[in-house]
Amino acid sequence: MSAPTSVSDPRAVALPRWNAKVMGWPQPRPLPITVALVVGILFPFLAPDRSWLTVATLAMITLTLAQSWNLVLGYGGVWNFGQLAFYALGAYSAALVTMYLPIPAWLSIPIAGLVSGGIALLLSIPILRLRGIYVSLLTFGFAEVVRLLIIADQSGVTGGAYGLSGFGGFGFTGPGAANVNYWIGLAAAVVTCLIVLILVRSPLGNGMIAMRDNPTLASARGISQRTYQMLVFAVSGFLAGVAGSLYAHVFEVASPTLMGLGPMTLVVTMLVVGGLGTVTGPIIGTLILSFVQMQLQDVPEIRLAALGAVLLIVILLMPRGLVPFFSAVWARFQAWMDEDEYDEDEDVEDGASVESSSESPAAAAREGAERGL
Amino acid sequence: MNLVLQTLVSTLVQGSMLALITIGMSLVYGTLRVLNMAQGVMVMVGGIAAWTFVAGTGLSPWIAMIFAVIVTFALGMLSYGVGISRLIGRAGVDFEMTAFISTFAIASIVQSVVQLVYGPRQKDFPSLVEGRIQLTDGVSITWQQILTAGIAILALVALGLFLSRSRYGLAIVAVAQNLDAARLMGIPARRAYVLTMGLAAGLAGLAGVLLAPVYFVSPTMGELPMLQALIVAIFAGLGSTKGTIIAAYIIGFVQAAVSIFWSSTYAMPVLYALIVVVLIARPFGIAGKPQEARL
Repeated sequence: MSAPTSVSDPRAVALPRWNAKVMGWPQPRPLPITVALVVGILFPFLAPDRSWLTVATLAMITLTLAQSWNLVLGYGGVWNFGQLAFYALGAYSAALVTMYLPIPAWLSIPIAGLVSGGIALLLSIPILRLRGIYVSLLTFGFAEVVRLLIIADQSGVTGGAYGLSGFGGFGFTGPGAANVNYWIGLAAAVVTCLIVLILVRSPLGNGMIAMRDNPTLASARGISQRTYQMLVFAVSGFLAGVAGSLYAHVFEVASPTLMGLGPMTLVVTMLVVGGLGTVTGPIIGTLILSFVQMQLQDVPEIRLAALGAVLLIVILLMPRGLVPFFSAVWARFQAWMDEDEYDEDEDVEDGASVESSSESPAAAAREGAERGL
Repeated sequence: MNLVLQTLVSTLVQGSMLALITIGMSLVYGTLRVLNMAQGVMVMVGGIAAWTFVAGTGLSPWIAMIFAVIVTFALGMLSYGVGISRLIGRAGVDFEMTAFISTFAIASIVQSVVQLVYGPRQKDFPSLVEGRIQLTDGVSITWQQILTAGIAILALVALGLFLSRSRYGLAIVAVAQNLDAARLMGIPARRAYVLTMGLAAGLAGLAGVLLAPVYFVSPTMGELPMLQALIVAIFAGLGSTKGTIIAAYIIGFVQAAVSIFWSSTYAMPVLYALIVVVLIARPFGIAGKPQEARL
């Protein structure tokens, strides 16, 4: 963070490009990622029965949504609580495009993404002038109004409270259709995670995190809040729209139940339980909560209550989420191991700790949290 | 002319109701810096509690009103103790964000528990008073509406007196104005917090009882008031009680005007568009202080 590089600084051209490795940021570990990918790809053959596959497909789509939300909420530090509106708008625009235009289903995915991204970009303009809680008020209100408009629509375009259906989806048939749908969802989720990772490690993401942690210093170093925030909103809206369009095509329905208090609680819980502002957090959170939701399928009445309880407990006991919590524990454990093994390294350790203490404690703690990667 | 009169009557009733619900949120935000997302649920709990009381004992709805206020007051204090008190003063965590999510979690827990116990069906609640009076040709106002506005205004006046005259009210105001100075003067801040949360919930519960005959009692009856309260809160600027009351009547007027002259379907979208314009012109609402938009 103290490296003398800045995005719009002309001298930065002469300096070596900012590098996550040199900065000592956590690197993706190849072995767990490979294992997770292989398990993910082979999941249709490992799943005990078909209902698991449906849940997993939904989980992958939700992961795309959660990751897009994480970009704004976790990394951007913008209190956007209206992400589900972009999700639903993506689903509806994909459905409408396939219904009324003679284009293949896959082409409607980028169109839905562009629609959602464009609306997110427009919404980010009034948000630029707001801070903290006012942003959440505005975005939450926006999402509610989108939902009410969809339900209240009398002209039949959105299908009112019942939503749209019967537009065909991807059109896969036969025994392998569910598998293909799942793989499409998985691919979208993996690509989204990659996009988030690359964005966060790029100068753009670096500036975004600086903006979140210390807005005054960041703007003094020449990071334009306007450019960064609008860009992040557009990207995040695009990804949410893609997630929505995937939902529409896989489940062949787009309804107002995509939004509202229940779905919002679910995705917020996934993010908070896993850990906001980490790439692995939403993955872990989505997987855990999808599994829990599936187990509670037979008792739908207590699902929302259970979600709320999980959210409350996690936010009270480990407000940063599971991934940062356990990676902090792991880091402490490793430090303790190192202390035992190399006594002669103590000087180096001290030097490092002095350097890190020059930053604010919050930033240091957050950096520790990001070892979860 | 009739339509104008109708709009004004509607404004008075709606505005008083909105003020009653939002003033609690504003008070809590001013004192604790928590955006209380459980306020709408408290409205619902008030209605449910009153309905249960009337259905269970058969006593008058007036006693049920007192019962509902006590129940929501206790629930508000409980939600502070469970969800918020542990988050205060924790290092390395954004308090406003975590407390916001925590009240959100409480809201969804309470709502689904109520749904589990009472079922999603709408329930009738008896009017507190019957009949209506004819103002002019075609414009009438029910006694229930007059009563609603009257009780709401009475509660607001009582709240104002409480905050400006009584020992505990002054403590709340002091904590809201300057936490450190209040602490140095020996005001127990945490007790003021508990009281504020209880008061906010109690006011919402009162609103719930007043709304119950109009909107019916159901586990989701708090959602629309919550959305409206959010709009009033943005418009007013959080934490300002005077601004909240003014904003509530303005929003009530816009809503009534749009519903009467156009269509009630589009009342919320129009309000939302209005809010966006207000936020662009004055990012901290009509009465909020600029430093609340922290930068």
